[in-house]
Amino acid sequence: MKRLQKLLVLFMMGILLAGCGSSGEDESAAQEYSEEAELPVQADDGEAKKSASADGGEAETALSAEEDDPAGGERSRARQAAGEEETKEAEEITYIDVPVYSGKAYAEINGNVPYFNDAELSTESYETYAELDDLGRCGPCMASVGQDIMPTKEREGIGEVKPTGWHTVKYEGVVDGNYLYNRCHLLGYQLTGENANRQNLITGTRYMNVEGMLPFENMVADYVKETGNHVMYRVTPLFDGNNLVADGVLMEARSVEDGGEDILFNVFCYNVQPGVSIDYATGESSLDPATAAQAEGKSRSAQQEQNARGSQTQQSQPDSVQASQPQPDASQSQAQAPPEQVQQPEQVQASQIQPEQPSQQTSPSAGAAYAVNAKNGKIHIVGACPATGTSSKAMNEPVYFGTYEEAEAYSMGIAPNESKRQCGNCW
Amino acid sequence: MKIILALDDDNGMMFNKRRQSQDIEVRKKIAEITAGKRLWMNGYSGRQFRDMEMDLCIEEDFLGRAEQGDYCFVEDRGILEAVEKIEELIIFRWNRRYPSDLHLDFLPREKGFVCTGMEEFPGHSHDKITMEVWRREK
Repeated sequence: MKRLQKLLVLFMMGILLAGCGSSGEDESAAQEYSEEAELPVQADDGEAKKSASADGGEAETALSAEEDDPAGGERSRARQAAGEEETKEAEEITYIDVPVYSGKAYAEINGNVPYFNDAELSTESYETYAELDDLGRCGPCMASVGQDIMPTKEREGIGEVKPTGWHTVKYEGVVDGNYLYNRCHLLGYQLTGENANRQNLITGTRYMNVEGMLPFENMVADYVKETGNHVMYRVTPLFDGNNLVADGVLMEARSVEDGGEDILFNVFCYNVQPGVSIDYATGESSLDPATAAQAEGKSRSAQQEQNARGSQTQQSQPDSVQASQPQPDASQSQAQAPPEQVQQPEQVQASQIQPEQPSQQTSPSAGAAYAVNAKNGKIHIVGACPATGTSSKAMNEPVYFGTYEEAEAYSMGIAPNESKRQCGNCW
Repeated sequence: MKIILALDDDNGMMFNKRRQSQDIEVRKKIAEITAGKRLWMNGYSGRQFRDMEMDLCIEEDFLGRAEQGDYCFVEDRGILEAVEKIEELIIFRWNRRYPSDLHLDFLPREKGFVCTGMEEFPGHSHDKITMEVWRREK
């Protein structure tokens, strides 16, 4: 099987931790693409500081390094103040083999064993976010996730953040929720409560977010909530060369107090969207030829069917695969829309990333499977009970969704503390 | 025998040889259901119950040892091979999606089970846990 080789560069450095000091040093490095086998990552006894990029092509790749300065500009609660007086630096390079995407949202890396060194494992909560590189791209984000840094309030809007490679583009019927890209939290909001931090948000596909990252994030969040233990957690976006959109993210986690007995994984989540081709250099996208051909075929069939019926109705574009990519001007206009316009999705969706606009609809469409009562957040299955019908028992303010996850996220925005979210008649 | 399982939305049970999730409220419910009966499980599952005062039968080959009327809490293996011995399935659903590489290896309905009862309750770390009881169709 053809494999894509990713280069992961780890800068491990002790940081001056006496008092509130920090090294604040910048690091940069350039590495050439190498066919060398995987190199081991060695532990360092200082606080970790990582920088990563990826190289999957033949050309030389320059890697940028990110500064990790927990005391300046980056949040760091309850840091583990070890009191080191010296700053030490070490550099480790490792190559990770990432299989070419073949239909599964993630691939296991290094036998599911994360690359943490002993010094990075902490039973005290903290979180660090790498500085953006020269291209404005995110670097590794790391946290010792504990209950004390988990969110206690609803997430606020993140619409004002435009990660590198960001485009507002819809593929109706191809992408769950229609919008190709979401602002993807590297450290999910449910873990560290980090909101509109541009050092924590990348341009990620809906698929990577929901199918790739979210299940792992759920597993960590629920473990921490249940046990009160900590989970060492790091998410590293991997960019190929100077690309503005990451090929994917490396997610590493290890439960600390039990030595990884309950939580242990190291996976690469692919930043892909089935049916859509992405230019990772710019974030531009287009329908896959096969998907487009399928759409054309469907469109032709529908047209023939209509012609056969002698219908006078005007043929509309098929919903199933219609891509609507804003014109540059329109995109620019949308990108600069007032916060209240672009924040709407964040208010209604609790999952880790948000589309520019919500996928909710106030009238049922062919793909609407669930309806949420906007007054109380109750989720209904369309057609399963009178609340989604047309009788006097129908909801006054239904909001329709294609997937249960979307409906649930919307419902959580309305009634966050509701324990019985599903309609008793429908389920 | 009566099998007790915990599943996510994809009928997943484990990822990377680790249970997907746990909840003290599920353990309490299991203790309540199996009170006065024999409850079998292996050592891995037994560690989850170490803080509970329960009389457990811990054996690695517990599925082969359990007798009619006994309960078995299964986390790390398929149960298709023992399906003919199963009188009842009690499934706790997390109502969440987790990563999974071990799944329930059959659909209860396809093996002649029907859902005869359902109960929802809040967990300690899960908003809502659903307990389903499946029995053989008569």
